[in-house]
Amino acid sequence: MADVTVLPDGVRISAANGETVLAALGRAGLRYRIGCRRGGCGICKLQMVAGEVRYERPVADTVLSDDEKVEGICLSCRAVPITNVIVELQEGDRLRRVLPYGFASGSTQR
Amino acid sequence: MSVMRLGFVHIRVTDLEDARNHYSNTLGMSVVHEEPGKLWLKCWDEWDHHSLVLEEGGVGLVKLGYKVESADDLAMYEKRAQAFGVSTGRVSKGENLTVGDGVRLTLPSEQSVELFNEIEFSGTETGSLNPDPWPRDRRGISAHWIDHALVPAEDPGLVERFFMEVLDFHAAERAITNPAHPEVLGSWMACGESPHDFAVVKGPNGKIHHFAFHLEDWNAILRAGDIMSMDDVSIDYGPTRHGITRGTTIYFFDPAGNRNEVFAGLGYRTFPDFPTVNWTEDQLAKGIFYIQRELNDTFLTVWT
Repeated sequence: MADVTVLPDGVRISAANGETVLAALGRAGLRYRIGCRRGGCGICKLQMVAGEVRYERPVADTVLSDDEKVEGICLSCRAVPITNVIVELQEGDRLRRVLPYGFASGSTQR
Repeated sequence: MSVMRLGFVHIRVTDLEDARNHYSNTLGMSVVHEEPGKLWLKCWDEWDHHSLVLEEGGVGLVKLGYKVESADDLAMYEKRAQAFGVSTGRVSKGENLTVGDGVRLTLPSEQSVELFNEIEFSGTETGSLNPDPWPRDRRGISAHWIDHALVPAEDPGLVERFFMEVLDFHAAERAITNPAHPEVLGSWMACGESPHDFAVVKGPNGKIHHFAFHLEDWNAILRAGDIMSMDDVSIDYGPTRHGITRGTTIYFFDPAGNRNEVFAGLGYRTFPDFPTVNWTEDQLAKGIFYIQRELNDTFLTVWT
């Protein structure tokens, strides 16, 4: 288990072991800007402010370059948190709650 | 004396085994040849040796292969492409498995297209003598054939002109800004009677938007959607109908993120003497997704 905190809202959810950032947010009923969900397009990149992720499946370097990894950019559909992480949505994006019941999402404290 | 059809699609995938599972078990293609890091596949209703080449490492388009009728066509199209001003090259027999000599064209939008007129003939699964309508041991979606491909281009009007002037394609349908200032935003182009064998929309050069598998009808589209859910395939959009071409459709992604489509309902036949059907920018969402009339946030932003 690792906590994923999403800025700028500060929403915090839990990712299960082996679960990607996208899968954890999706399970919590939260939606943000994503593309193919399969590591091919790079649309779902997030800036990691703190924490570490690993990639359990190959990621094309045309999609996520080594420089981007060094800058802390993660490909959220493939990135599996190995510590608690804080990620920031891309400029202009925001979290939308598509499952409005809330109890699936864990803490939503600021 | 013409281009006959999209013969093969050659793409990159990040994980070959995931791709094998997707294209063979989910879509129902058969693996016809394999080498380390590379797979060749075909659909049950295709006559030629293969229609899809998967290469491990990266993502996106390597090239599209279009089959022409004769060797004379190769020389003619090469000459015309050079006159148009794009770079061309020769492809030797065997460079593509079982494919004969060919001509490589680099589109004004940077994608590679190879023309060829010979490829090993291996026949469909039902054959050419008193055939059954479909094979009994079908797998998954059991797509009939690879039907068309759509690529993005910074200048889709130029790519449309290339396919018309060099390759004798006919624009069945076109997306334009507005009739008073008709900048081409997209074009759906035919070399035969099907509404599109190739299409182009405004977007980044060098990439692919999708390639499509032909299914029999709307029921087959629904069944395909069911199988995609069973196999946890990432869906982009659908099932729905296109205004453009009238086809029914689901867009989805392979395990590397390359977009695929299942496409059914030959909405109409087209001929070179037919006028081009135009869609204006303000109605383009209806042209693309006729029922919803709204684009989602991925359809014209995700390319590989």
